[in-house]
Amino acid sequence: MTRYLLRRLGQSGVTLVLVSIVVFVGVRAMPGDTARALAGEETTPEALAAIRAEYGLDDNIAVQYARYVQHALTGDLGTSARTGLPVLDAILDALPVTLELALFSLLFAVVLGIGAGVVAAVRRGKPAEWAASTVALLGLSVPNFWLGIVLILGFAIALPLFPASGFVPFGTDPAENLRRMVLPAVVLGTGLAAVVMRQTRAAMLESLSADYVRTARAKGLSPWQVTGGHALRNSLITVVTVLGLQLGQLISGAVVTEQIFVLPGFGKLMIDAVFTRDYAMVQGVVLFTATAYILVNLTVDLLYSLIDPRIRLGGAR
Amino acid sequence: MRPPPRRRRRTAAVVAAALLALLGSACAPLSTAATEVGPVRMADDRPVADGGTLTVALKSDPDKLDPSLGSTLVGRSVFASMCEKLYDTDAHNRIRPQLAAGMPEVSRGGRLVTIPVRKGVRFSDGTRLDAEAVRTSLLRHRDLPASARASELEPVTGVEARGDTVRIHLKESYEPLLGALADRSGMVMSPRALREHGKNFAAHPSCVGPFRFVERVTGDRIVLERDPRYYDAKKVRLDRVVFRTIVDGNVRLANVRSGEAQLSDQTAPLEVQSALTEKGLRVFHSPTLGYQGITVNLANTRGVGEKPGDPKDVGGALAGDAKLREAFELSLDRDLINQIVFQGMYDTACGPVAPSSQLGTRTDCSGRDLDRARRLVREARSEGRVKGEVPVELTISTTAEHLRLGQVVQAMAGEAGFDVTLRPTEFATLLEHADRGDFQAAALGWSGRLDPAGNVDAFVGSGGSENRSAFSDPRIDRLVSEGSSTSDPAERKGIYRRLTAAAGEERPIIYLYRERNYVVASEDVAGLRVYGDGLIRLDRAGYVRGGEE
Repeated sequence: MTRYLLRRLGQSGVTLVLVSIVVFVGVRAMPGDTARALAGEETTPEALAAIRAEYGLDDNIAVQYARYVQHALTGDLGTSARTGLPVLDAILDALPVTLELALFSLLFAVVLGIGAGVVAAVRRGKPAEWAASTVALLGLSVPNFWLGIVLILGFAIALPLFPASGFVPFGTDPAENLRRMVLPAVVLGTGLAAVVMRQTRAAMLESLSADYVRTARAKGLSPWQVTGGHALRNSLITVVTVLGLQLGQLISGAVVTEQIFVLPGFGKLMIDAVFTRDYAMVQGVVLFTATAYILVNLTVDLLYSLIDPRIRLGGAR
Repeated sequence: MRPPPRRRRRTAAVVAAALLALLGSACAPLSTAATEVGPVRMADDRPVADGGTLTVALKSDPDKLDPSLGSTLVGRSVFASMCEKLYDTDAHNRIRPQLAAGMPEVSRGGRLVTIPVRKGVRFSDGTRLDAEAVRTSLLRHRDLPASARASELEPVTGVEARGDTVRIHLKESYEPLLGALADRSGMVMSPRALREHGKNFAAHPSCVGPFRFVERVTGDRIVLERDPRYYDAKKVRLDRVVFRTIVDGNVRLANVRSGEAQLSDQTAPLEVQSALTEKGLRVFHSPTLGYQGITVNLANTRGVGEKPGDPKDVGGALAGDAKLREAFELSLDRDLINQIVFQGMYDTACGPVAPSSQLGTRTDCSGRDLDRARRLVREARSEGRVKGEVPVELTISTTAEHLRLGQVVQAMAGEAGFDVTLRPTEFATLLEHADRGDFQAAALGWSGRLDPAGNVDAFVGSGGSENRSAFSDPRIDRLVSEGSSTSDPAERKGIYRRLTAAAGEERPIIYLYRERNYVVASEDVAGLRVYGDGLIRLDRAGYVRGGEE
């Protein structure tokens, strides 16, 4: 176990270094002069030179990278060239927003998608299935941006039930936090709900025609017990796999939703940083995300071995 | 049981109609016919109640909250509420003392400017404002590496604090100084904050203003609160001002409609149109001091500020042919561009100095002359200067407005025999290309400065830091120099008129239009002022006193 852990940690470290190099070089390959983007509309060659000197933009890229790594190892991801504020602070401010949005969207997608999928499968060929399929098709086809604007017009302006934008931390005001998360979560979760609905329906149809379901019915179990206790339980394996695969898309999709609802999350931070060529911020956000992914993968791999003893560790016998 | 066929059809029709209505409501502009915006509305004098928080939705995230380093218009909007300047402007773009106790005295042939400093004023951190504090800020603006103020304070050779006055020594007479001191170069920062935070002043800004800095969450909000130490605190009504960044114009306006925000800054014409007819919203607007146009690369082959190269190396036909540039300009109909692209809500422009500027003159732009444009193109063909259609590559930014502008220019110039190819480019990249000289013609603009020199010198003066055309003309350079050193306003006005006419013959920039500042406000907000510098002044703003709407 220890050898396996050390090997996986080593692999993760190498991945992280590679990611940091790719990000570092990639950011600098973006068209547009950082110094120019930072200087704004009024500038002089002297001011541009001073900006380049201040941020070390004239140094060799290897020197710049080494300096960056040295600081990053001490937890210093640099200072935003645009705002002059620490990158790490901005990331730590933005992270809970995106995580909360992803969590609520996932909840919405699971509840709606599985519910509609089960109904569509159980009520096959009936209006309920037609309605569920239509909603799923709409959910897949409608762009987030359009849906966001429509929901703001409908539920923040015409019928002012929810705020049009903004974020209040859960710790500050839990009720207000939840109220502000409803519309964004619906927008971000709709596409995923449609996917979940279709997967659930397909898996349920297969399960409902399986022998063990016929046996359960023959045993005299109620329709609820058959559907919920047997068919759905087995169908969930597929659905959970799909959810895992879609989670990444949910976080990347948050970029648009955060823009519409003005949520100060990761996506908004990233977009603003890219457009202003704020190298330090882009690097910080990508590196932070990559580290999170690597750590999650590592944890999952280790958990696999704990959950399922059939998965051997590092060739141990 | 399936519903009978007739009922099914009726249900389907209702569902289809509802879906269409939903689609229509989100896709179409809220108002289709262009509505007249009406006369200029720059202020609201209704009585204001005490207290409350006002949320201003900004178009983009402000940059560093450091007057020496800040370079964005949205940043200036925030500064307007928390960092006062030595001088300010009024509704007519006239300069008035703000932290200065009076207008400056100019002596020694214009090389010494003496400014009295207002007494009894304190910064938000409690430090007293005095001449020494003004001196410290002025020198920082001039000397801080990467200072965005360095170029406008470059003629300053020294600053002295003497009693309650500040004496500014100049290399030579420099008239644009006063205009600069009515902008960020005139902002005075707390010396204690500068001492304690140095380069990190942006994280802890402390100035003199009706509001003081509370917090900033990157990409989300900047919060200010009423400063009890402000010398005019009794007149300030609001408790707090929150600036929020909402990039999309529709979303910005939706937030004002829903009450999440009370003001939408820099609102685009299309969104203003929808707000004009809506109850509960008021539109404030004022003419701007800047311009928008097409910068033509005449000889920028080595980069901006460098010696002009060979026009042949630029590519395209416009660089080395003044007649074709004239034909290109004559093919464009500024009024129609304004109508089609901006719903007629901007102003046409044919020179760098805005008519609303104190030294500006109202000039009627020459109209479209398609016959002459075609004749000039035919002559160029017959003289062998071009073959067939005249190729022009026009670089534009990727905003919807610029794309529309590019298409209209393409169609208009096409009628005169130009083959305009559009090159949409993300804005930061566009600026880099323009600086490098990697363009033939580019749609670029300038937000404008109070003093005409700020709109002219760097753009058409030889080697100017914004002279992306690499335009160089001794006549213009002489006028640029005269414009900066002449003190008589009437004389200066004449100089800039002559300069505009002379530059107009060579057309390094084809001026097209001037934007207007459009601010959409919730009906219950009063005391607001929006002047020509594009800033929202909130020092007297607040919510309308009950029952007096």
